[in-house]
Formats: sequence, structure tokens, C-alpha cells
Amino acid sequence: MNACAGVYAVSCSREQPTGTKTLQRERQLNQFLAEVERRALRFAEIAVRDRDEALDLVQDAMIKLARKYVDKPTHEWAPLFYRILQNGVRDWHRRQLVRNRVMVWFGGVAGGDDDYDVVAQAPDPAGRTPERDLQSHEAMRGLEAAMHKLPPRQREAFMLRTFEGLDVAGTATAMGCSQGSVKTHYFRAIHSLREQLGEHWQ
Amino acid sequence: MKEPRKYTHDQDETGLTKPEFDKTELNEPELDERFAGQAKELFDDSVERLDAATLSRLNKGRHQALVELQKTGLAGQWALWMPATGIAAAALVAVVILQGPGIEGPSLPAESVTDFEILLGEDSLEMLEELEFYSWIDPQDFETDNNVG
Repeated sequence: MNACAGVYAVSCSREQPTGTKTLQRERQLNQFLAEVERRALRFAEIAVRDRDEALDLVQDAMIKLARKYVDKPTHEWAPLFYRILQNGVRDWHRRQLVRNRVMVWFGGVAGGDDDYDVVAQAPDPAGRTPERDLQSHEAMRGLEAAMHKLPPRQREAFMLRTFEGLDVAGTATAMGCSQGSVKTHYFRAIHSLREQLGEHWQ
Repeated sequence: MKEPRKYTHDQDETGLTKPEFDKTELNEPELDERFAGQAKELFDDSVERLDAATLSRLNKGRHQALVELQKTGLAGQWALWMPATGIAAAALVAVVILQGPGIEGPSLPAESVTDFEILLGEDSLEMLEELEFYSWIDPQDFETDNNVG
């Protein structure tokens, strides 16, 4: 993902796909998606706290990238993909907000944070010691909890910069804001997280 | 030139490698960097621990995206040829209209022009009255001409 660092100004030009070029694009897209899909899933899962929903969001983002932006230069794919994914996550939160309001109106119980069982969502361990898995899992759980206390834009900036390795320009493209805003959001996010987790992490 | 950070790596009882920093030597940006590094390590670790069923679903999603790309590619190629096809079709229609024999209705022999001149002449009304006669005499002339030739 770090290889994606560079200039992310989205170009207006579209390369015309013809014959072998289309096949080459298909191969490039497959490779790109294979590289990014796992991280994107975790990215979405942290944002929506539901793996099934996260899988749907990632698949939608993949399909939209393939349909609309595959003619863009490959170095623009990463920020574009994360922008699509971010938009999907925001739409999901809006839908959840409406749904929860409706549920409250009708006296139902809205699914809140308590419904999310991190242990139940834990993936199968793959050749690691249980102690290490547990330690890592607990630490990640703490980080996720702290991230959820951040304003959404700060969380996005932190995740894109830290987890996905996008540089400031790429993060700005993915978030649809200025580079200055990215720097501000990231700065505030990391200091807020350090304050929250300082005791455990220092 | 930036001086390299002073820290050592150590393994705890669980085997997890932890960087050991001397915090007093780190300034704020370095502390931020260190924190980000630890967060990324945890995130990467959680990515590595994704289970097989989830990976399978991701794989299916990726293939679905590639199928969409193929559809878009075919549509794109067709769209690419559309203007050229349209221009060619328009040119063909133009040629047919300008030069084609069947567009202007039934073809008339050259003599018909003369016939029209006669019909549109002063005697036309009289001729129309005797149209039956002329229609009888015309084949007769044709046969006579052939016999002469």
C-alpha cells in the first residue's frame, strides 16, 4: 500500500480500453483488489462493527471501482477505492441512524454497541500462540474502542494514513477534502488516541 | 542529518516483539510516529488473522467485480465502435439515396420524358380523352420498332 504514495490528483483523462488493453486492465484490477481487499474489509469492519455488512460494503466498492474508474491510471485506484468505501460507510451509518430512529419510535430495541461481540467476531487463529492472539486481539479491541470515540473525520484520517499507508494527498482524495484538513484531522486523532490509550501503550 | 532512534527490540514471554523506547529521548512527532507504528502493527495482525470463510467471501466479491469489468469492457468496446458504425451507416444511406435505382419509384425509360412533354403540351387534354387509344397503339409501336431493328 505504501507503494501507492505519490501524486493523487485524479485526472480527467480516460484511457480507452481496447482488446489486449482490456485484458491487461482486468489483470491489474484483479491484482489491485487482491492486495487491498483484506485491509479494506478490516477498515470497513472497524467503521461499521459488523463483518457481514463490511463484506457487502467492500464488494460494492470493488464493483463500483470496476464499473466507473477502471480507466483511471492505476496509481489513482487506491485513493479512489477508499473514497468509494468511505462513502459506502457513511451511507451505511445514515441508514442505521434512520433505522434506529424508526425502531425507537416503534418501541423496538435498536442495535447498539452492546450488540457487537468482539469475541464472537474474532477470526480463526492461523498458526499463532493463543497468548499472542489474545494479547493482540485485546490491544486491537482497545484501539477500536478508542477510535470509535473520535469524530468520524478524524477516525477516517487516522485509518487511511496509518493503516492504509496513504500519504496526505491520497488521504485528501479518499476523504474528499483538502490536504490541510487531513493534517488537522490526523494530528487531532493521533493525540486524542494517545491520550486515551497512553496508559496501556506507553 | 537525523540521528537514528535509540531503541532495542525485546521479546516478552508470549513471543510478541515489543520495541523498547527511552521516552525521554523522544519528541512529540517521534512519539506520534511510534504510536502510529504500534497501531499499524496491530491492524496488520488483525488482517493476518482473517479466517478462511471470510477470505473466500472476499474472493467471490473480487470475481464479481471482475465480471462487472468484463461487462463494462464489452459495452465500452461497443460504444467505441458506435460512432464509426453510425457514420458508415449514414454514408451508406446517402449513397443509396443519391445513386440507388429503387428509391425514386419505378424507373422510367428515356422515352417517357418525351411522353411527358407531349402530355403537358397543348394537346394534352385531347390526348387524355383518347388515352385508351394511345395505350393500345404503344405496344404496337414497340413491336414494330423491334421488327425494324
